[in-house]
Amino acid sequence: MSFTAVLRDDFTNSRRSYVVLGVIGALTAFVGLIVYQVADYQADAFRALVDVSFFFFLVFPLILIPLTYLAVAGDRERGSIKHALGLPNTRAEYVAAKFVSRASVATVAVLVSTFVALVLGAVFYTDPVDPLRFVTFAAITALFVVSLTAVFVALSTVTSRRSRAMFGVIAAYFVLGPFWFGFLPVVNLQTIVDTVADLLGVTVSDETFGYLQFSSPTTAYLAGLEPVYEGVVGNGEYPRIDQNYVDETDALYTNPWYSWLVMTAWGAVALVASYARFRVAELG
Amino acid sequence: MAAIETNALNKRFGEVHAVSDLDLTVESGEVFGFLGPNGAGKSTTINILLGFLSPSSGKVRVLGKDVTEQSRAVRQRLGLLPEGYEPYPNLTGREHVQSAIRSKGADDDPDALLDRVGLDLDDAGRPAKEYSTGMRQRMTLAVSLVGDPDLLIFDEPSSGLDPDGVSLLREIIREETDRGATVFFSSHILEEVEKVCDRVGILNEGELVALDTIDNLRDQVAAGATVSATLDAVPDPLEVESVDGVRTTSVDGDTVTAECTTGPAKMAVLRRLDERATVEDISIDEASLEALFEQYTNGSGDGEATAEADRGTESTTAAAATGGESA
Repeated sequence: MSFTAVLRDDFTNSRRSYVVLGVIGALTAFVGLIVYQVADYQADAFRALVDVSFFFFLVFPLILIPLTYLAVAGDRERGSIKHALGLPNTRAEYVAAKFVSRASVATVAVLVSTFVALVLGAVFYTDPVDPLRFVTFAAITALFVVSLTAVFVALSTVTSRRSRAMFGVIAAYFVLGPFWFGFLPVVNLQTIVDTVADLLGVTVSDETFGYLQFSSPTTAYLAGLEPVYEGVVGNGEYPRIDQNYVDETDALYTNPWYSWLVMTAWGAVALVASYARFRVAELG
Repeated sequence: MAAIETNALNKRFGEVHAVSDLDLTVESGEVFGFLGPNGAGKSTTINILLGFLSPSSGKVRVLGKDVTEQSRAVRQRLGLLPEGYEPYPNLTGREHVQSAIRSKGADDDPDALLDRVGLDLDDAGRPAKEYSTGMRQRMTLAVSLVGDPDLLIFDEPSSGLDPDGVSLLREIIREETDRGATVFFSSHILEEVEKVCDRVGILNEGELVALDTIDNLRDQVAAGATVSATLDAVPDPLEVESVDGVRTTSVDGDTVTAECTTGPAKMAVLRRLDERATVEDISIDEASLEALFEQYTNGSGDGEATAEADRGTESTTAAAATGGESA
């Protein structure tokens, strides 16, 4: 009863702000643009999902930030938290409702944008669209955004100032995304691991580094999308898909389920750890 | 059963001792005024009562339950009007009240509650971000009344209210206590406290320096009252200074003014003047709560008053009273 009361309040309050509309609108517009552009040089609509997934990996977390970073920190700074917690709502219900509310919006954004991609695929691509690939893509992407929402809401839960929450989620985005993936030439995980290994005089095997590299929710997301390309991975038709998903090792981290587990674990651990701190936090 | 009971309650923030050995009992059905200057520890105490902060040491029971272990059960029976609170900007006033109704599992009519606190029903459908401070305060008052709580904690409830709102607040407090609720009333507006509270506690630098009825506190700090009488002719010698309980006297034209430290002294002064002249007019100014507050918190009593928390005795041995004598 209390959980649904907090959830309803938060969802209604968010829905009436421009944030929800902005998140869903921006995501749908970008995804639509990508799918439309890829139609110029690809016949299969699902091929556009490779580009869409990189957009989700690199840009969508930034769109997610305004939706999540004030979830709890904003209430604490404004004092609105006294409304929810002055009533017989527990702190666990409060945090859970905040997470579910924000994750619902993020998931709806994924579903709407993927549906638009499917429709555009049917209209602009020459080959018939395979809806199952889009459904699979939507499901795995939803898991990713829910995981990332959990991380961002968790950071918002452990801070009482909006400025700290903002800094926290931006830092998390950079470290878990561009840094972990190796997007930048020097400031990346590979450089750090190599430097530490050199200092310690040890060698890090490719397999060990592979486990490390796929332990971020963002890299796990890209790896976990492999079932979307079921049947075409390794057949040479799509070099970029082969490059991403043809494995040179049979280590556990090459299995899609491992990536799904990584995303799930990040979300769950972030929420549980932040709640453990929030449960005893001094409010007021 | 006491509505609020703290025993040796302490709260420290690092080196800062926000609340020190607070022993406080608020009985069911009373309106208790909680006073103190900024930084005295009032908000900290309230936050502990609500379970927002954990005590560093000591016991806190609200409505018979330990707030550190049964905070939710306490809040089920409690109504809160917090200070420094911003509502959810995009929820309407009605939705805030409905939220409280849902959380408490109550069956109140939100519009009836909003009407009771004087919030226009058209305004109740507007987002709270468009509300003035007074409207927000009325809305929060309605939220606090959901579910007929056994204990109402009002932190600066008059803040932002117009005179009509303040009057309505007093009426609501009276109605709530009539049905048996307890009201814990923290405010800087001493006049309001004086009008509605049965007893007051004064907190200074984290310590309870006074706990009693306002009348008893007046007696204890010897703040008493000022008696002014206009006479047909001022007698010479005046012979009012010798009346027991008179601290000082002064003459301005035909008006004699005597500062009395006890209640009986007021009548004794008037009798003495009536024996020696024709009294044409009189006025009596009771010491304001503000004056009492000043005496308890400005160090004239060294802030070392010992609060007698046992309500049965209704007494406070206040070192401040000694200070009051010389003030």
